[in-house]
Amino acid sequence: MTNAVDVRGVSKAFNRGRPDEVRALVDVDLAIEPGEFVSMIGPSGCGKSTALRLMANLLEPTSGDVHVNGKPARKARLDQDYGMAFQQAGLFDWRNVTKNVELPLELKGWDRSRRRERALEMLHLVKLDEFAEHMPWQLSGGMQQRVAIARALAAHPPLLLMDEPFGALDEMTREHMQAELLRICGETSTTVVFVTHSIPEAVYLSTRVVVMSPRPGRITDVIDVDLGPRRDVDTREDPAFFKKITEVREALRGMERASSSEAAGPPQPAGMEDR
Amino acid sequence: MSEAAAVRPARSDSAPRARDGYLHRLRAVWMFALALLLVAVLWELYKVVGPQDGGTVFGWKILPRANDQAMPHVWQMLARFGEPERAGFPGTILTTILSGAWFTFRLSFAGFVIGAAVGLGLAVLMARFRVVERGLLPYLVVSQTVPLIALAPLVVSWGGKLHLGAFEWPRWLSAAVLGAFLAFFPVAVGTLKGLTSAPPTAVELMDSYAASWRQTLFKLRFPAAVPYMVPAFRLAATASVVGVVVAELSTGLAGGIGRLIIEYAREATADPAKVYTAVFGAAALGLFMAGIVGVADVVLMRNRPREALE
Ligand SMILES: Nc1ncnc2c1ncn2[C@@H]1O[C@H](COP(=O)(O)OP(=O)(O)O)[C@@H](O)[C@H]1O
Ligand SMILES: [Mg+2]
Repeated sequence: MTNAVDVRGVSKAFNRGRPDEVRALVDVDLAIEPGEFVSMIGPSGCGKSTALRLMANLLEPTSGDVHVNGKPARKARLDQDYGMAFQQAGLFDWRNVTKNVELPLELKGWDRSRRRERALEMLHLVKLDEFAEHMPWQLSGGMQQRVAIARALAAHPPLLLMDEPFGALDEMTREHMQAELLRICGETSTTVVFVTHSIPEAVYLSTRVVVMSPRPGRITDVIDVDLGPRRDVDTREDPAFFKKITEVREALRGMERASSSEAAGPPQPAGMEDR
Repeated sequence: MSEAAAVRPARSDSAPRARDGYLHRLRAVWMFALALLLVAVLWELYKVVGPQDGGTVFGWKILPRANDQAMPHVWQMLARFGEPERAGFPGTILTTILSGAWFTFRLSFAGFVIGAAVGLGLAVLMARFRVVERGLLPYLVVSQTVPLIALAPLVVSWGGKLHLGAFEWPRWLSAAVLGAFLAFFPVAVGTLKGLTSAPPTAVELMDSYAASWRQTLFKLRFPAAVPYMVPAFRLAATASVVGVVVAELSTGLAGGIGRLIIEYAREATADPAKVYTAVFGAAALGLFMAGIVGVADVVLMRNRPREALE
């Protein structure tokens, strides 16, 4: 079976050869199978967004290669093999909800009636049927994010790439959206790569949590999470859930310890610590 | 459920929203009328308290003469609209002003359209190629520092001389070109700013859909640019009137409001209120042009969140 995502020996440096060179990712390997839900977690600046952008072919790796759906990432992008969602829903103000969802289909050249039919189907999936004709700015943040998910999945891509999509939502809405996302991806059997800052979010959603560390950005741990296929409100109170949270937290903390012992060696230039 | 309750009920909300926009506009019209009235009152007030034969401040002769010769009463100017152009002439001065304004309007509109097309083209080119922007933008800025008065005779001299195949350069086109010369600049700069205002994540989204540059231009960049383009076009509309009137003034092109301003100014000693009718006509024309853009604004922005723009 071909992997949904295959990242092999990938490094990415920005501003190469200049004094402000940043080694955003070094020697990253990651294989994701279809149907998996993989979260990437780590402190700010550890290269999570960079990794996601490499999978999306919005960036080219400095070395190594990225395959999506068994194709080179560029080919996968041209074929619209994935959908994407960011922290900001990024809906177009001048299009109503339905027209926003239709955008990727329009770019693919679908005809009007087929587009509309699919968009309404997607809005039903995210439970926004009554809001089809609303303008984006008339919706709450959580609803806007649901429209963004509907738009990302409109062309039925097998893969969904998400960069802190719920980062701007309040805690209640956030938990609700997490459950909704699991339901939607279950119904559409979509593979998900999900970047987050939140340990409970990563554990609740994922089949695997990838722990990353900065300077240079790399993968330090991969933790399997097996909380069963049906996750509901009770999952959040399950001792197994807390055990996994602790495990991920320790993985993140262990990395902190490792990097502080590194720092104890040669003196670091001032200001390096809070970059 | 709690989330659905948190949302602003859009149906009942959109009505007051639209009414807010309407009231907003109505208030703007009121304020404008009030400002006009205030200027008229100040004018008349100065006529009462100002020195009849002008005055000096610290030796500088800056206070204008307040006599009826230099500053006719506001009502005299307005009444002048209803009187014939010259004693014994048929028709009122209003009809003359209107036909002059119509003539100038057509030239200005042609100038506006030419200027807008050139400005849009340049903006798209500059947005597409950074090199073009860096190379061209400084020259565009410099172009606007060339005094129009100096340029006008040159452009007008093309009239009758330039033959492009079967096409003979008509005289009026020179005036329109001068209007376009002033109009293209705000359009180019405003549109460029708008086209590059699309948020980076929106551009990334279009890239993730493998959208072509053209698709990104029409589905993202232009719609995102509309709030920047409207004020730019409004400026361009009034600028094109200024360009055409200056062209008429400096070349004596007959038929428009500019020519009327010159003619009436010559008669200022005998008929001081007359020249003001032509000046008012020119000002009204500028407002009318800006108003046309205002209508386009209302239509294009009807579904946008108002507060995000103010
Ligand atoms: N376009 C860019 N140019 C230069 N440096 C960048 C760029 N994008 C990201 N970086 C740097 O790469 C590192 C990783 O960034 P990012 O992937 O955004 O981290 P994260 O999403 O984990 O917070 C950071 O140090 C960041 O400053
Ligand atoms: Mg990030």
